[in-house]
Amino acid sequence: MRAAVLNLFGVSALAAALCLTSAGAFAFDDALYPDLSGQWRRISPPGQPAFDPAKPRGWGQEVPLTDEYKRVFEENLRDLRAGGEGRWPGYRCRPPGMPALMTAYEPMEVIVLPHTTYIRIDHIHETARRIYTDGRDWPKDIAPAWAGYSIGKWVDEDTDGRYDALEVETRHIKGRRAFDATGLPMHDDSRTVVKERIFLDAADRNVLRNEITVIDSALTRPWSVVKTYSRSPERYAIWREYLCAEENNHVAIGKESYFLSAEGLLMPSKKGQAPPDLRHFQQ
Amino acid sequence: MREWKSIGVAVFVTMLAIGGAQAADETYPDWSGTWRGRPPNKWDPSKPPGLGQQAPLTPEYQAVLQASLADQAVGGTGSDPYSSCLPNAMPRMMTAIFSFEFVILPNITYILFESSMPRRVHTDGRDWPKEIEPAFNGNSIGKWIDTDGDGRFDLLEIETRGFKGPRVYDPSGIPLHRDNQSIIKERIALDKSDANVMRNEITTVDNALTRPWTVTKTYRRQRNHVMSTNDCNEHNQHITIGKEIYMLSADGLLMPQKKDQRPPDLRYYSRAQR
Repeated sequence: MRAAVLNLFGVSALAAALCLTSAGAFAFDDALYPDLSGQWRRISPPGQPAFDPAKPRGWGQEVPLTDEYKRVFEENLRDLRAGGEGRWPGYRCRPPGMPALMTAYEPMEVIVLPHTTYIRIDHIHETARRIYTDGRDWPKDIAPAWAGYSIGKWVDEDTDGRYDALEVETRHIKGRRAFDATGLPMHDDSRTVVKERIFLDAADRNVLRNEITVIDSALTRPWSVVKTYSRSPERYAIWREYLCAEENNHVAIGKESYFLSAEGLLMPSKKGQAPPDLRHFQQ
Repeated sequence: MREWKSIGVAVFVTMLAIGGAQAADETYPDWSGTWRGRPPNKWDPSKPPGLGQQAPLTPEYQAVLQASLADQAVGGTGSDPYSSCLPNAMPRMMTAIFSFEFVILPNITYILFESSMPRRVHTDGRDWPKEIEPAFNGNSIGKWIDTDGDGRFDLLEIETRGFKGPRVYDPSGIPLHRDNQSIIKERIALDKSDANVMRNEITTVDNALTRPWTVTKTYRRQRNHVMSTNDCNEHNQHITIGKEIYMLSADGLLMPQKKDQRPPDLRYYSRAQR
């Protein structure tokens, strides 16, 4: 026990020293941290990924929604069946936000520095999640962001003198968000708190796990899922730019959403949809 | 015994790590904080915008620029792809009208932006791959240089290739060639007399140019800026339908962006609906 305490003390002292010597954009020796380098891809069943990869999509996720948000989800599913977009922001090229972004719709990169861990996913605008590990407290004024504001803490769980898990708490997430593309809703009050524990699998260092617990007013209790990622074996992995605006065939005009045909003409996205109001044109 | 072993390991790791961190810190320049370019938003900051930039364009691409300016003169967006939320891309993104930061590791330097996808500048000595995945930001290989021989790098030279388009230099629509064969060379260093000022000498080699075009960008360091995300799709008032760009009115209705612009073709709607 005493060794563990001393060892943790050593790790903390080292972390502090590294923070002092490496504040800012400096290179550093990463012997203290787990090797999270490389390109990570989600492990999940084929097709559109669900938030909980261990369960079927939609109601099969068994999300502990309040009655009010069960009705919101049902209404969302009706809209999807009619050809609408539901609550998923991705159709309008808006980022999924936290915690959905950790589904890793595109490959993920984790950059560990003593004061900040960056999680980079080139999906729409999920370009740089910053997890501050410099011991800061929550600022008084934070502008809400899709990725939220994250504070993390490295933990040496097996007391071997090297960190092995990153515990993260994320708050101040903006926007009307959903857990996945089926539109599983989070509360419109945007007061979600997301807790994560990110660590390498003990048996396979090319597997990364993320235990995510979501606390949200649309839920009757905290909801926990485990996401898993595998490390690409390629020496020089390719980071493809995914640009929603380049490929999107949805056109949002006001509150309505339309499709673009192959020849670039406007067309309805659901049966009986009226065309856009053209009163501002001289016809 | 186990206690001493643990302490020993911790101290050893500590020495290694701190030693490494110090050595590394002394190896690379202090580019910490965030950086931002100075307005106005134009490619060569030393010259007036538009034709005043005196871009050494071929006659074909000079005509493309003039068409863009003519369209903008009547309220259009010209050939600026950002109106459709396509990225600013290289080299325009290095005007940096929003903040950016450097994350320097021995094998790679990341340049992270508030309004663009990141740049990865590989400094691990790799060669150009036989096939490059085209990207708006291109693919970058860099080299750190110690110009004054004081044992610490002070200059990052970057070459960027492998693009896709369309790309322009600035909002006026000064075009790069549609063949996307550009080669962009950068020399990034702190100002010798002010460590809070950074210079980026950018030379673009492109088939739309009659000769390489060199400009120097200046960035100022921000010490306490909190990086955020500027999401074009969230605030864009332009609606792109096919090849036409319209505006969104305050009441959420489609409206022309220039005089006499025709409304979108509604042939996929029944006559009764139109």
